[in-house]
Amino acid sequence: MSGIVIEGVQKSFGVTTVLRGVSLAVAQGEFLSLVGPSGCGKTTLLRIIAGLEAVSAGAVRIAGRDVTALRAADRDVAMVFQNYALYPHLTVRQNIAVPLVMRRLKAAERIPVVGGLLPGVAAKRREISTDVVAAAQMLGVGALLERKPAQLSGGQRQRVALGRAIVRHPRAFLMDEPLSNLDAALRVTTRSEIVALHRRVGASTVYVTHDQSEAMTMSDRVAVMMDGLILQVGTPEEIYTNPQDIRVAAFIGSPSINTLAAEIGADGDVMVGGIASGLGASVRGPTTLAIRPENIMLADTGIAARIEHLEYLGESLLLHARVLASHELVICRLSPERRRQVARGETIHLRPDPSRAFLFDSEGRRLAAHARTRELAHG
Amino acid sequence: MSGTRSLGGRRMRSDAGIAWLLTLPAILAYLAMILLPLLAVLALAFTDYEFGARGFRWIGLANFADMLSDRTFAASIRNTVVYCLFVAPLSIGIALALAVLIEAGARGRAFYRAVFFLPVVSLTVAMATAWQYLLHPSIGPVNALLRMVGAGTPNWLGSSDWVIVSLGFIGVWENVGFNLVLFLAGLTAIPRELYAASEIDGARSGWSKFWLVTWPMLGPTMLFVIIITMTRSIRVFDTVQTLTQGGPNNASEVLLRTIYQEGFHYFKFGYSAAITLVFLVIVLGLMLVQTRLIDRRVHYG
Repeated sequence: MSGIVIEGVQKSFGVTTVLRGVSLAVAQGEFLSLVGPSGCGKTTLLRIIAGLEAVSAGAVRIAGRDVTALRAADRDVAMVFQNYALYPHLTVRQNIAVPLVMRRLKAAERIPVVGGLLPGVAAKRREISTDVVAAAQMLGVGALLERKPAQLSGGQRQRVALGRAIVRHPRAFLMDEPLSNLDAALRVTTRSEIVALHRRVGASTVYVTHDQSEAMTMSDRVAVMMDGLILQVGTPEEIYTNPQDIRVAAFIGSPSINTLAAEIGADGDVMVGGIASGLGASVRGPTTLAIRPENIMLADTGIAARIEHLEYLGESLLLHARVLASHELVICRLSPERRRQVARGETIHLRPDPSRAFLFDSEGRRLAAHARTRELAHG
Repeated sequence: MSGTRSLGGRRMRSDAGIAWLLTLPAILAYLAMILLPLLAVLALAFTDYEFGARGFRWIGLANFADMLSDRTFAASIRNTVVYCLFVAPLSIGIALALAVLIEAGARGRAFYRAVFFLPVVSLTVAMATAWQYLLHPSIGPVNALLRMVGAGTPNWLGSSDWVIVSLGFIGVWENVGFNLVLFLAGLTAIPRELYAASEIDGARSGWSKFWLVTWPMLGPTMLFVIIITMTRSIRVFDTVQTLTQGGPNNASEVLLRTIYQEGFHYFKFGYSAAITLVFLVIVLGLMLVQTRLIDRRVHYG
């Protein structure tokens, strides 16, 4: 059993419960993102894996070893912090060397000058120096070794922080929103660099972010967290095309998924505003139909709505329309050529693609639903 | 065109005028309170002026030459140096140790801060009475305690071997609280994430975290504390004046008291000014050496 395994982890700070029983398995060499809104407990979970916080209940195993009771220094994990947490008084070289110096040299051997006189220390120092240079070169900061963090740009500091993490080949890699302090352009390029670095290093990685595009683009799998629970774990494609909870559906995707109040009729038809949506379900009662903006078509008949706003994005056109019957706002992604065919104030008819629509119960859980071929034939 | 230009020129002139007007109070205060007295001291140091005398003579460096053969002055320099070398390291070291312990403790931070800061806000002259009693050779509790354990009972403030050490202890007691508050402020400014990073990097003991994070991050605070403690201890006066008056036999004579004695007791203003000048040069020199030496090794920001 390798990788990182989290079993039933709970965490409370005083009366506030931050994690309410989280279980997760990260395979050896896997890149997994923890994504969720701020305050959902994702950073706390990461700090628990790192050993910076103790669990209230549950267990953490890294590479088959139960580390729940071990402190951070003994877990053999590396962590990249949001604001890098570089030692400001040390040069880049010294910063990257710290994890090696702390692990390979004994306390007495670390004493400046005097420590260097002890037998074997010079050889160890040389080894450390070789490893530091190798890590720095891998990250393209080989030319900055003698600089202090204050003399580096945000992107360079980020690389030094990564270097300090990879230099000792840890069993697990933990990253806490490492890109959030970079500007937008740098964020996108660093994204692919971190993925490339992960492939070279090959350690299990847990990456915390509130940015769904980072989670979707970088990860092998994504875990969506909310209110101290993991709602769904899956590949980015599964999360997007098959959300199991309405909060997952709403959190992933931009613009956000459309939600429409729906009723299920006696014959199993899912009705939106009295109109059959083309979706069928076997349950009864009030439900929510969720449909992504790109899966709504304009048609001659369907849900009547008035166009409130048009956003031309170049590669697509976003149409904001208000459903006449329920006053719900719906956003449709259309091809940009449709721009001349629609105008603000017009009434249009919307038709969700039933094979791509999701149905959720009043608790937000996904309901089984199927496209009705009869309706499709009529459309 | 020329009209607008002259208007602009006038405005610029009046802006400068207002600037001078606004800084005038500060300039006047600086001149009257700092620069003029300093220049007066500088001038007096080269005269034989005595308070109440009709006139004075310029005597060049004679005052400074007198100092070289003045045994009181030599004793006061030596005692001041010993006092500083005793008070500064001890009060800084103890304050740092206490600050780290208090900061690491779960509770009682405000309580400890208040307790250790009390000597700073209490009146030294009033507290000196308490010290006088505590250190009294026959009825003092300190010696009573020493007698109980069978140790020697020195005359703390009365013997020339012990007096500067006793005053030094009182100096440490006075300064620890002040330095402690400065260190506590410095400690809270250290980002928590650096400790988390050091833990991840393998710093297991509090000791290695202290050397990896706390000590270097406290650099600017340390520089400030060293300078402030040195200048505070060079200026020692009130405990000496109230407890020993420089005695016995000049064993606790310190610079500031010598200046005071020469100026306000013997009314030798010229000589007193000359010693003041030496005192100023020592203080300035110390600060210069410290900032030059330490500033290079201190990391800011």
